[in-house]
Amino acid sequence: MYSFISSRNIRFILHEVLNAGDLNRFPFFRDYDKDAMDMAIEAAIQITSSNIYPFNKAFDQFKVTHVNGVTHVHPQLKHLIKSIAEGGWICSGASFENGGGQMPEVLSSAGRLIFYAGSCNSAYPFLTSGSANLILNFGSDELKSAFVPRMIAGEWQGTMALTEPQAGSSLSDLSTSATRTEKQGTFHISGQKIYISGGDHNCADNIIHLTLARIKGAPSGTKGISLFVVPKYKLDGSFNDVKTAGIYGKMGQKNYTAAHLMFGESGICEGYLVGEENQGLTYMFQMMNEARIGTGLLAAGNISAAYYASLKYAFERPQGRHPSNKDITTPQVLIIEHADVKRMLLLQKSILEGSIALLLQASYWADIAAHGEGFEKENAHLLLELLTPVCKCYPSEMGIISVKNAMQVLGGAGYCNDFPIEQYFREIPINSIYEGTTTIHGIDLLGRKILMKQGAALSALYVEIGKDLDAALKIEGISLYSKKLTVAVQKLQQITKHLTDLAINERPEVYLADATIYLEGFSQIVIGWIWLKQAIIAQEKITLVDAVSEQQFYSGKIQTMKYYFEYELPKYVPAFERLLSNSKITLETNPLDLL
Amino acid sequence: MKILVCVSKTPDTTAKISFNADNTEFQSAGVQYIMNPYDEWYALVRALELKETLGGTVTLINVGTADDEQVIRKGLAIGGDDAVRIDAAPKSALFVAKQISAHAKSAGYDLIMLGKETIDYNGSEVGAMVAEYMDMPYVSYATKLDIAGSTATLMRDIEGGEEEIEVDLPFVLSAAKGMAEQRIPNMRGIMMAKSKPIQVIPAVPFEDLSVVTSYELPKAKSGVKLVQPENMDELVRLLHEEAKVI
Ligand SMILES: Cc1cc2nc3c(=O)[nH]c(=O)nc-3n(C[C@H](O)[C@H](O)[C@H](O)COP(=O)(O)OP(=O)(O)OC[C@H]3O[C@@H](n4cnc5c(N)ncnc54)[C@H](O)[C@@H]3O)c2cc1C
Repeated sequence: MYSFISSRNIRFILHEVLNAGDLNRFPFFRDYDKDAMDMAIEAAIQITSSNIYPFNKAFDQFKVTHVNGVTHVHPQLKHLIKSIAEGGWICSGASFENGGGQMPEVLSSAGRLIFYAGSCNSAYPFLTSGSANLILNFGSDELKSAFVPRMIAGEWQGTMALTEPQAGSSLSDLSTSATRTEKQGTFHISGQKIYISGGDHNCADNIIHLTLARIKGAPSGTKGISLFVVPKYKLDGSFNDVKTAGIYGKMGQKNYTAAHLMFGESGICEGYLVGEENQGLTYMFQMMNEARIGTGLLAAGNISAAYYASLKYAFERPQGRHPSNKDITTPQVLIIEHADVKRMLLLQKSILEGSIALLLQASYWADIAAHGEGFEKENAHLLLELLTPVCKCYPSEMGIISVKNAMQVLGGAGYCNDFPIEQYFREIPINSIYEGTTTIHGIDLLGRKILMKQGAALSALYVEIGKDLDAALKIEGISLYSKKLTVAVQKLQQITKHLTDLAINERPEVYLADATIYLEGFSQIVIGWIWLKQAIIAQEKITLVDAVSEQQFYSGKIQTMKYYFEYELPKYVPAFERLLSNSKITLETNPLDLL
Repeated sequence: MKILVCVSKTPDTTAKISFNADNTEFQSAGVQYIMNPYDEWYALVRALELKETLGGTVTLINVGTADDEQVIRKGLAIGGDDAVRIDAAPKSALFVAKQISAHAKSAGYDLIMLGKETIDYNGSEVGAMVAEYMDMPYVSYATKLDIAGSTATLMRDIEGGEEEIEVDLPFVLSAAKGMAEQRIPNMRGIMMAKSKPIQVIPAVPFEDLSVVTSYELPKAKSGVKLVQPENMDELVRLLHEEAKVI
């Protein structure tokens, strides 16, 4: 066991649950068999153990400054980026011709999870990866050759510059402008962007902003938004008029800069159009699944590091005695023996391993959606689209609760900075805000994904769940949980029908008012399914293995599944009760009622 | 420059070690294996650095069953050109040395490198035995290696200092910390490793001269005893009677 991640759990999900090695049936992934995947996972753990995890506290304690136009971050960041780049993890999924490694998304996600468990600072190179993928997928050959190689090498930082002071959740209101120049494809960019992650730092030679802006004369709203490559320094090395107005002070992720950027204050900021005019948001959204799963992975990495830190502590800290033992002269027991400490650890393990299994499952679907054919491709695409909000929000929201429980396990030590939990506690909440707030994803799930293609995505999910319910029903020891989940899925169908009827009969405001609560209940059930899936395999394997450590691993899976079904799954009940109610409390609340 | 690097697998440092009922065999079920770090980080990486500056090839050799191919592939992913696996369970240091030398004798290597010891049995024996079988010079625990023409210059840590050694090729060396920096395989290396050849050859007949009669785990360490500062006599008594250090 490593102190931040379980490689055994990753191998379980990759090989035993997903059989990801079979992706090499697609010519694009032909080199990725099980052994290659294991070697890649081991390499990611080695990189993290030597270049990332040992520096995580120093990253947190470093005071980022912006002095004389230079944003100073912790110098180890350069090694972190370099080691991930040299490992071949930036744009690892791109084709060989484009400088990538044709790596399946499911493996790339497993690698990211490991790096993120080492430190949230590992998000820097993957931000670059996302930006470079945008250029690779939609940019001209000229843009690709000018920018992508140095981004893949980790020398240049990529960013995603969307948010503006008046346009956060509502991107249709963005106003950064692009004015044509005589040079085809080159525009002058003017405007400001806020909270831009990786927006400036001195561990990269250049910063490449993938920037959304509106070309002068373009339609208003989302239809008039274009995407531009806007480098901090032009290719000839001269300054491109992208100024850092400041670096935000934040509660966590201290060394992961969020910059306030001013584009074209002197009127000479060049931006190079990516793809076609007015298609910017469409391009961005095509990459959104990757980015949102990425945020889920970042949250899961954080949960993982906090869980293993609290688990270690629970095995070392003697405190108190069993309730039945009143003899003060007997030694204290380790806190791992207290039922409520075990509850807090099971809670974390169920959230952590439920999140990881879901995220890797979704990444696996992304691979099938990209390289499969016919029904298999379409089905994977639907499932991925439907569950992306859960991938983003479940680890982000439940992660806050998970890390809070990690802190409780340590008692006072959890709050103090001799131990890392307080850092993780400050780092986890942002995941529920960037890449769209939880509310926005609730609205996406209920307002778009559920209804998409006449409910085809939801039907596809029911079919998938149905297969595992049938399988689990035949397995002694877990059939009970199949029955519990069957009831939950029936309730989900009922609630969804109730809400979609509202969509027809009522204003959208009524339909969407409690979308976040729907997302919560929906997520509890999806994670219940993900746990049942794992338990089916664990129950089969546990009788086949000789090694005690392996039996223990599978027994841990089954026990955590049981915990999830007993303690976590039932939380959908009050959520759905609320959704069935016809009272419109929030809609009818007058803002003045809140004063 | 033709270099042979001997690589073996060892249990991951976090693995739980146990033996069979009569304590004569290590229980390998469920144990996660890694490449012996001294072979990997020091011998192999320095061999690759030499190849990169002087040209030539780096061949890996392993005495082990098919399960060891995972470790061999890692060596190829880090940069080895090809590999030889002698298809037999490594019964003892002498057995391993015999097998390695049987292959190496006719292959004309300029240099044979291996880690100073494996991190499981910590025997530090194979290198010297290979050198003896090959009738070659042997330098153990080398921390630095440079080669100019047909002469190698090496450094070894000795009690209180270092010693510098010159030796003509070919020779055998065991590598210690300081020889090189760990290299982590990148994705390109991992992909390329799949197409690099691993030649599997049978073991030569060999009669071992010794047998392991039993294994024993180290005794569990006793807990820490806290002695109050005002209780100096008790501390002195414990150090004298129990710890037996004064
Ligand atoms: C540290 C950090 C890093 C970031 N990195 C980046 C980055 O790299 N690139 C980038 O472009 N942006 C980035 N962001 C911006 C981030 O994506 C936005 O902050 C986020 O999308 C929310 O926008 P906002 O802050 O304007 O909040 P608002 O949109 O003002 O939202 C405020 C509240 O209102 C709710 N709300 C808003 N609209 C609706 C609605 N229609 N219905 C119901 N409720 C609604 C929200 O859910 C939220 O609770 C970052 C932010 C932070 C804090």
